[in-house]
Amino acid sequence: MGGMGAIFWREARLAWAGGGGPAGPAAFFLAAITLAPLAIGPDPDLLASAGPGLMAFAALLSVLQSAERLYGDDFVDGTLDLYALLPIGLPLLSLAKTLGQGVATLWPLPVIALLGGLMYGVPLVSSLMLAASLAAAIPALVLLAGFAGALAAGVRRSGLLIALIATPLMVPVLIFAAGAGRAGFEGDERALANLGLTAAISLGTIALAPFGIAGAIRSRLG
Amino acid sequence: MTPFQPVSLAVEGLALSRGGLRLVGGLGFALKPGEALLLTGANGTGKTTLMRTLAGLVRPDEGRISCEEPVEEAVAWLGHSDGLKPGESLRMALRFWADIHGASRKTILPLMRKLDIEPLIDRPAGQLSRGQQRRAGLVRMALANRPVWLLDEPAGPLDGAGRERLADLVAWHRSRGGIVLAATHQTLDWPDAGHLALKAAA
Repeated sequence: MGGMGAIFWREARLAWAGGGGPAGPAAFFLAAITLAPLAIGPDPDLLASAGPGLMAFAALLSVLQSAERLYGDDFVDGTLDLYALLPIGLPLLSLAKTLGQGVATLWPLPVIALLGGLMYGVPLVSSLMLAASLAAAIPALVLLAGFAGALAAGVRRSGLLIALIATPLMVPVLIFAAGAGRAGFEGDERALANLGLTAAISLGTIALAPFGIAGAIRSRLG
Repeated sequence: MTPFQPVSLAVEGLALSRGGLRLVGGLGFALKPGEALLLTGANGTGKTTLMRTLAGLVRPDEGRISCEEPVEEAVAWLGHSDGLKPGESLRMALRFWADIHGASRKTILPLMRKLDIEPLIDRPAGQLSRGQQRRAGLVRMALANRPVWLLDEPAGPLDGAGRERLADLVAWHRSRGGIVLAATHQTLDWPDAGHLALKAAA
């Protein structure tokens, strides 16, 4: 387990030092939620009701946007070979690695979603609910992106492949995370249920995705 | 460095293929503690595939690889690429590899001195030359403190002085009871190392 900590911190540090850390996903997310009202129009009611869904959708896309580097770089520079030879085993390793990168690069998303919600005229409580559900969704999103990234590691135009693999898998997370914010906005008591389901999907993904990622890495290396 | 448990390595009847194409068949050899084996052969004869198979990264078609310890605990690997991150300083990278292998961080500097890259410790790997990166890769591999070293083209980017340092490092490892296997195109002058030439399969 000590090894997992070392890998988590190294990956977080590398994501910060080598890849601009949270700047990429945060900029993408900000751009998306800033541009959307220009396309939708200035109607305050419309913006407030569309806000939570838009925010969850933009967050999903910004996770996908950085997925290509998650395992692709390690495949090219030989790190993946070395990781595969560590006694810790690939499932635990990929869990620590993916969450390390995810936390380092995606932590601003719930914060931006909270501010974005307020900017769209979503009430504070529902904005908080949306931010909480996005925070709960991040482990699932980043592990699914990691799974797709591992399957596509070293493949040309892996970005396209990753989008095709990961998008369908992310559908439930999108529905529940957006649902929490929307139900909160509509004064529906199902907001907490949606939040709970988002967290449940994340926990399930934490338990299962590492084995998928490990299998994908093994088949890419073999 | 804390001593490791020396192991021997035996390979019998190994058959390998890549992309469905048979490369090697009926390959066998045995190495006792302190021995070294140089693999030679033209491009595409399966040197890298053999090394990756010995490391457990690729499954052989047939045959057996036996070693007293499980491969993941016996093998230290140096592949074509050195596993360095362009933005990471050697200090941070080597500290990580020392920690993850349970080696003392105090072993980093002596090993860097052996390969004459001690002054580069705070440089990001991306600013180093290929030869310097390879030397750092050798330090990383030695830090693992494993009995079996698998080196795929270790001397490729090294200059004359680097090859001498490599030979010293290998001699040091063998004196501790370690095994060294290297696939190479260069002539490596390692005292009483065995030779195995891979030929293209018919």
